[in-house]
Amino acid sequence: MANLLEVRDLSKRFTSPGGPFKKARSMHAVNGVSFDLPKGRVIGVVGESGCGKSTLARLILRLIEPSGGAVLFEGEDLLAKPPAQMRALRADMQMVFQDPYSAIDPRYTVARAVIEPFEVQGRKPEASVDEEVATLLEMVGLNPGLASSFPHQISGGQKQRVGIARALALRPSLLVLDEPTASLDVSVQAQIIGLLETLRDELGLTYLFISHDLSLVKYFCDEILVMYLGRVVEALPDTDAPARHPYTKTLMDSTFEPDPKKRRLIAPLEGEVPSPFDLPPGCAFAERCPHATDICRTDTPALAANGGHAVACHHPI
Amino acid sequence: MTPTTAPRSAFATMAMRSYEAFARMSIGRAFSSWIGRLSGGFIILLVLTAVFAPWIAPFDFAAQNLMNANQPPAWPHLLGTDEFGRDVLSRVIYGARTSLSVSATAIGISITAGMILGAAAGYFGGLFERVVMTVVDLTWSFPDILIALIFVAIIGPGLTSTTFAIAIAYLAQFTRLTRAQIVRLKRETFIEATINLGAKPRHVLLRHLMPNAIAPVIVVGMLAIGDGIVLEATLGFFGLGAQPPTPSWGGMMSSGTAQLFLSPWVIIFPGVVVAVTVIAVNLFGDELIRALDIRDRLRGA
Amino acid sequence: MLQVRDLGVAFGPIQPLSGVSFSIERGETLGIVGESGSGKSLTAMSVMGLLPLQGGRITDGSIAFDGMELTTLPENAYRKLRGGRIGLITQNPMTSLDPLKKIGIQVDAVAILHLNMTAKQARSRTVEILGTLRIPEPALICDRYPHQMSGGMKQRIVIAMALAADPDVLIADEPTTALDVTVQAQIIRLLDDLVKERDLALVLITHDMSVVAQTCDKVVVMYAGRAIEHGPVEAIFDAPQHPYTQALIGCIPRGLDGDTKLEGIPGTVPTVQNYPDGCPFHPRCTRAQDICSTTDPAFVVHEQSAAACHFAGAA
Repeated sequence: MANLLEVRDLSKRFTSPGGPFKKARSMHAVNGVSFDLPKGRVIGVVGESGCGKSTLARLILRLIEPSGGAVLFEGEDLLAKPPAQMRALRADMQMVFQDPYSAIDPRYTVARAVIEPFEVQGRKPEASVDEEVATLLEMVGLNPGLASSFPHQISGGQKQRVGIARALALRPSLLVLDEPTASLDVSVQAQIIGLLETLRDELGLTYLFISHDLSLVKYFCDEILVMYLGRVVEALPDTDAPARHPYTKTLMDSTFEPDPKKRRLIAPLEGEVPSPFDLPPGCAFAERCPHATDICRTDTPALAANGGHAVACHHPI
Repeated sequence: MTPTTAPRSAFATMAMRSYEAFARMSIGRAFSSWIGRLSGGFIILLVLTAVFAPWIAPFDFAAQNLMNANQPPAWPHLLGTDEFGRDVLSRVIYGARTSLSVSATAIGISITAGMILGAAAGYFGGLFERVVMTVVDLTWSFPDILIALIFVAIIGPGLTSTTFAIAIAYLAQFTRLTRAQIVRLKRETFIEATINLGAKPRHVLLRHLMPNAIAPVIVVGMLAIGDGIVLEATLGFFGLGAQPPTPSWGGMMSSGTAQLFLSPWVIIFPGVVVAVTVIAVNLFGDELIRALDIRDRLRGA
Repeated sequence: MLQVRDLGVAFGPIQPLSGVSFSIERGETLGIVGESGSGKSLTAMSVMGLLPLQGGRITDGSIAFDGMELTTLPENAYRKLRGGRIGLITQNPMTSLDPLKKIGIQVDAVAILHLNMTAKQARSRTVEILGTLRIPEPALICDRYPHQMSGGMKQRIVIAMALAADPDVLIADEPTTALDVTVQAQIIRLLDDLVKERDLALVLITHDMSVVAQTCDKVVVMYAGRAIEHGPVEAIFDAPQHPYTQALIGCIPRGLDGDTKLEGIPGTVPTVQNYPDGCPFHPRCTRAQDICSTTDPAFVVHEQSAAACHFAGAA
């Protein structure tokens, strides 16, 4: 299977400027991330706040300029593309955003929002504009009669469907989904996930699915990348794989089952996610890890491929 | 501006009409309170008066009749006559033309320039933004009258100086306001989404940033017109605005001071009209702010 | 300890809550679960007597706390209970704490007010409670300000404030929604321990069924301002009777059963102004018949749980 996306050592460094009274500080929102996304697969990126998953999504689509590394889309280096070519390429790689409430211009009707990709890319739809709008709306399970509605007149779930319709208007091959259901009710989330599954099969899409919800990622994705403070700490080749990194294990233990017979025993986890600005040397998880030893506090473990199940840990489980 | 390549269709037209109806609806809400109705009604009346002045004014504003000088309000001169026997009512009506057109033109220039500068500064940021804002803020540090006097010194008194003086005086305000809007809007998800579609900066600015930034600017513009009227009247009072025989409220008040005890109506009526106009503009501006629900956006400027 | 019967709440002409009933004893954890707009937070506000603050009033039903009827309680008596014997933890720890006061002062204030302690006594109690909540170096923390703490820490401090007056009942309104998953697990474990150690009655309000499964003894499922099913947690998950409960459980992604396809519930939750007639769920229900749109369903009992449905029963 050809790789639709190849990410090599991608990094993003943010610097907070110093002044006469404070030192300049810098942190890596994303630090040396590498992975392959084969065509037609769904890879999930999971992590808690500050892990850099949203930044990673934007780096891959070059909505933020990376500080280092490479992003190969269908074999071509995105970071080497001049602006005009990059703009044209965007038609092939789209994003569905986390907040449906602000993802559509409040002054745009649904029809205008959904047809805008054509306008922007200077293309004409095959059918008439009205027909194309109706097709797109039906594709995402919306009544075409909503075409003249404004965002404030439709529900959160419907807004998110409009966002998906807009993202799919130009039939991209890659869809990056940044927590697309985080602000929706559970029942609506299930609708949207069902829709995404159907679309993937019908349109042959490839997904990069960002989420903090491990159970959702396990359900929806083929492979899972676990991120912690900007680094990928584990790459699970399938959703049944057991956790090998202590952080992944903690994450799994913290994700409850909807079954009172399967209650988890929650082990106490000391501390909180440290600030990315003052990272101590060594493994970023060391100060909270029950298995940490001296080497963990001095050497940052690299992501070691382990016959398909990569882990970045000196003492994998 | 790049025309859209997608053909206009029934859908698109209906979409535009729906948007306009929505905009009208929000502004219409400003008329829902009696303050809104009163003040808005007065403003509309004033505008109509200015537009239809030749048909409304009972007399020629420049017609002198020295035999009839300094007549108190009575038929047929409902507001009396001034020292040249000119009908005060007609002069007040034509004065509306002067005041409103000067003020509206000046603020129009100011808004246009301010929005362009503010949008560019907000969108591109960096050194460009800092240079623009510094220059614009410099204009803000000058009192309006001083700017006007500078223009008068260069060009000479008259409506052109007044217009430019008012325009420059308010430029900073519109630039700051637009820039604040743009900076706020830039962070919105839908802007990121539009860029993600592959939009050029021009598209993002003209189709998304500007239309969403306009509402507070329009309202402040309205309030500024009220201020502009006062500024024009002030300049007119010092003889620096409209030159005779063009009637202006300020000019009338100025010449009226000499006759204050003889024929006070010459100064009172234009003065009252200026005051009521400014009050009406400010009240309606408040109602607009409430109707469009943009009070929070006005704090950023 | 706390018994709510047929609670009805109105804001002006709108009736966002009606017919809500549940009860809880010491040492029990009751989960009130529902999606947005189901009225769960309103229920918490009603029990705390905070409705008038938002312009609401209780129209029917009773709230009995340890023998006292709360719906008719005068405000000054209520004030003694609030924050004292009945504690409230809200969703957003960011806004529950005063940003201008040191943490120690804020927690002390509870003991001073409700337990009539002196400042010194209150302070030692504060340090003790912060320690039991596993806050590191509690004595130092007392001198810090809320903005210096992380979200999880702030939530523990809010819990400390609720505990400082030795409550009998603790109402936690979505206490972990704004927190990371691993932090949430810690807080949930903390609450579990507290219930056991102090014999508390914990009312846990959440939208997350998995949290309910993990930690609750009894469950009340709410939809559109009504309690549509209630029962012991095993019964609710093993044999849900109400179509909404069944559908809701079907909406939860399960990693292990890869074959079970996620089924959403078509339609959307009705807004307060548009509650349907009869059963509030009928427009979205697969079992709906004519009677569902006209008549309010009565509770149908099945073993230890009860569901308000004309066609209650297994799917």
